[in-house]
Amino acid sequence: MRRAHRTAHRMLWPVLALLVGLGLTLSLVMRPPPAPPAAAEEQR
Amino acid sequence: MSVGFKAVQWSREKYIYDGVLLAGVTLYILAFIGISYRIEPPKDLPAAIDVRIRAFGSCAFLMLTIILSIGPLARLNPWFRKLLFNRRHFGVLTFAIAFLHAWFMIEWYEAQGNLPNLIAELTKWSDYGKFIGFPFKVIGFAALLLLFLLASTSHDFWLAFLSPPAWKWLHMTIYVAYGLVVLHVALGIMQYDRNPTIPLMLIAGFAVVTVLHLVAGWRERAGDRGTPAGNDGWIVAGVPGSIPDKCALIVSAPGGERIAVFRDGNEIGALSNLCSHQNGPIGEGRIIDGCVTCPWHGWQYRLSDGRAPPPFTETLATYPVRIRNGLVEVSPHALPPGTPASIQVPSG
Repeated sequence: MRRAHRTAHRMLWPVLALLVGLGLTLSLVMRPPPAPPAAAEEQR
Repeated sequence: MSVGFKAVQWSREKYIYDGVLLAGVTLYILAFIGISYRIEPPKDLPAAIDVRIRAFGSCAFLMLTIILSIGPLARLNPWFRKLLFNRRHFGVLTFAIAFLHAWFMIEWYEAQGNLPNLIAELTKWSDYGKFIGFPFKVIGFAALLLLFLLASTSHDFWLAFLSPPAWKWLHMTIYVAYGLVVLHVALGIMQYDRNPTIPLMLIAGFAVVTVLHLVAGWRERAGDRGTPAGNDGWIVAGVPGSIPDKCALIVSAPGGERIAVFRDGNEIGALSNLCSHQNGPIGEGRIIDGCVTCPWHGWQYRLSDGRAPPPFTETLATYPVRIRNGLVEVSPHALPPGTPASIQVPSG
């Protein structure tokens, strides 16, 4: 790999980790509560 | 087009690699489907297709996680280089598995006569303003398009046609594809299926890949800072004996590319650290059969002039080398590729 690729790697990964980590955390926290069994059956 | 097409060069190692890969994927999918059927036998055709969607989707995610771990693992431990040399086949197979995952999703709608619902789901523009409820299939589709682009340009023809640096930039979009896949799962199945395996798999996979890339990147920083140079700009590599026989020391000019200083007995020569094939780290290779050999795919060059042995025509840039006060010094200014530049040092 060239120096420019390595530099881009070092800059990209912290940003990607932050953005995707944030998205993943929010999607876990904001998950709707589980549907009651009857409703869940309906959804499938 | 100026680049000729050559068929894939198969070798015993590639057959073994691909065989293990195919066997692993087949076993995973069969085991997933078998266990799912045992836990909850599907009641109808859509439920059976749903199991296939999950099996192929989770398989593609795991494959992508492994692919993205191979690069930094090979930087941290040379043992993993044996997984690196045929990584492109791994990538193409991952695209195929991801494509089948998407195909089964369409089949799932079709089996219920609900194909128009898929279109309606994707064109419900108000959902694009939501976070929870965002059309996650669009995110998956974007990732699939990227994987298609990468799989279709995986052949050496495209590597030569685009040039190794441009090809590498293109293939770095796999990181974006991985991020999209994580969000596709997080905003999709994780929202309505409470099985704890899903967030665990996502978090563990993403954490492993991220930590490996951050650690490998951190360790590479020192090599890019530059090696101390003398007053006249020549870089000091060390005494000849500090270069292991048939191996290299890697030095770099501040702000410049890395230089591999090899020793083959009494011969010392410096070559660009970038293999002309995929810009692999030549200096981490060894001298085999009298030629400097790239650790990634085995491309070879003569130490004396950086030229590949006949009938091959690839060349590497060489660097002037001298011995001063008993130390090997390298000029930071590259000579034209293929220029003889190695020197002989007195034995002992």
